[in-house]
Amino acid sequence: MIETQGLGKVYGRGLYALRDLTLTIEKGEFVFLTGPSGAGKSTLLRLLLLQERPSEGDVIVGGRNLARLTRDEVQAYRRTVGFVFQDFKLIATKTVFENVSFALRVLGMPVEQQRRRTYQVLKWVGLQHRLNSIPEELSGGEQQRVAIARALVNEPHLVLADEPTGNLDPDLSLEIMNLFRDINASGTTVVVATHDRELIKWVGRRVLQLDQGRLAAGAEAPQ
Amino acid sequence: MTVLGYAIEQAWVSLRRSGKSAIISIGTIAIAFVTLGGFLLVSVNVQRTLDRWLQAAELSVYLEDEVGDEARASIEAYLRAQPAVLEVEFITKSRALERFHADFPELGDVTESLNGNPFPASFEVRLQTGPAAEAQADDLARGVADREGVADVRYDRRWLARLLAIVTGARVAGGIAAGVLMLGAAFTVAAVVRLSLHARRDELEIMQLVGAPFSYIRGPSIVEGLLLGGIGAAVAFVAVGILFTMVGRWLGPDLAGLIGGEELLFLGVREGAILLLGGLAVGAAAGALASRAVR
Ligand SMILES: Nc1ncnc2c1ncn2[C@@H]1O[C@H](COP(=O)(O)OP(=O)(O)OP(=O)(O)O)[C@@H](O)[C@H]1O
Ligand SMILES: [Mg+2]
Repeated sequence: MIETQGLGKVYGRGLYALRDLTLTIEKGEFVFLTGPSGAGKSTLLRLLLLQERPSEGDVIVGGRNLARLTRDEVQAYRRTVGFVFQDFKLIATKTVFENVSFALRVLGMPVEQQRRRTYQVLKWVGLQHRLNSIPEELSGGEQQRVAIARALVNEPHLVLADEPTGNLDPDLSLEIMNLFRDINASGTTVVVATHDRELIKWVGRRVLQLDQGRLAAGAEAPQ
Repeated sequence: MTVLGYAIEQAWVSLRRSGKSAIISIGTIAIAFVTLGGFLLVSVNVQRTLDRWLQAAELSVYLEDEVGDEARASIEAYLRAQPAVLEVEFITKSRALERFHADFPELGDVTESLNGNPFPASFEVRLQTGPAAEAQADDLARGVADREGVADVRYDRRWLARLLAIVTGARVAGGIAAGVLMLGAAFTVAAVVRLSLHARRDELEIMQLVGAPFSYIRGPSIVEGLLLGGIGAAVAFVAVGILFTMVGRWLGPDLAGLIGGEELLFLGVREGAILLLGGLAVGAAAGALASRAVR
């Protein structure tokens, strides 16, 4: 599903956020990305969404080299990826319901179907009572769950989540992880960046450990 | 449909947010289109008047008083033989005097104080219209002037043609002026749309990241421009209408006399459509241009 070859990302004056990274994630896998702050987890996820372009090397997703996509193809590719941003990225002027249904609207889905799916997903993340709130009226954890709902609502082939449980209490974190497991069980590839060792242990999937932009030696051991 | 619905919804929200700057840009569009509409209006009326003058235009061949019957008949025969000629009418000296009395009754005394009839006899020649006939008529006017017994030839179309050239020139100048104003208007529309894009920049970024097609990202800007341009042009149309009514009320009778007794024409469906579609097109183009900043 995902392949990187000699992937590097340089910021500013020769600071490597990622360096010579070569890894493979199979279709249908559930993988954790971990490592200390500044290790390059978010950078890797941003490159996978084409939010940024690599400085070196290639990213291949579903057999297509992302560097070769045209502008419109990039948009089409993003519609097949569900992304949970570390800073949520909700539209401040839209309600919870609109924030989520928007991801379906841009697919051209019929309105009735948009409503039904949006409601289901919001119920799934436990927000069915906050449909008409705007993001600033929500707690951090609630905003995070809206972001997760938006990422999952259009049944993407690939889910990329950056610290999706960073603002959640342990119980809610486990629930969210169960959501990801359900999605994964239906065949979706899931990549989750997190610091949370407990969570990683609890879910018990493959772990990719990053350190200073590289894969940490011996860290890649399926559990 | 869902793209369009989104575009209209967002454009409306943006317009209301823009408030004063939207009104300013509608104003500049309206000014540009009032100029264009004014030129169209003047040009519709001037054109119609000129056309009628051209239709009625005649070649008048004035005869010397002492011309003999034979020379006169030869001139008439010559005229009738020309392909460009439709009709030839002979106006006697007394008929010319009668006509003068009829046209200018208040000047009746003037001619009475003269002894004799000062008006010459003439042939009035109605000519065919069209460019080919026009060229022939020129030759004809020159040819008949040299004939025996002809005192003078007056050919209306020659100065009408000159007038037409002046009017055409004025119309081109007006078009250019309207074009320049429209360019300025387009810039203000683009500025308003860019402001709206700026206000929505977070939303636009998120839309891009969730894979919204560019039609969703650009659509609202184009519709916003379309609305600004369309409203501006509609305002202009109404303003031209009001100006037209006011001018008609103040100068109507005088103007009517000048253009031959008919009522002034307002813009027709075609000119109205030009204004409105022009406004929509300028607005949409400006909106599309502004939205190219989003990539
Ligand atoms: N836009 C940027 N400009 C300059 N440097 C950046 C930028 N984004 C990231 N970096 C740098 O790249 C390195 C990797 O950052 P990244 O955000 O990928 O780390 P991370 O593993 O996600 O950390 P965290 O666990 O704190 O989220 C860091 O040293 C960071 O300072
Ligand atoms: Mg990070």
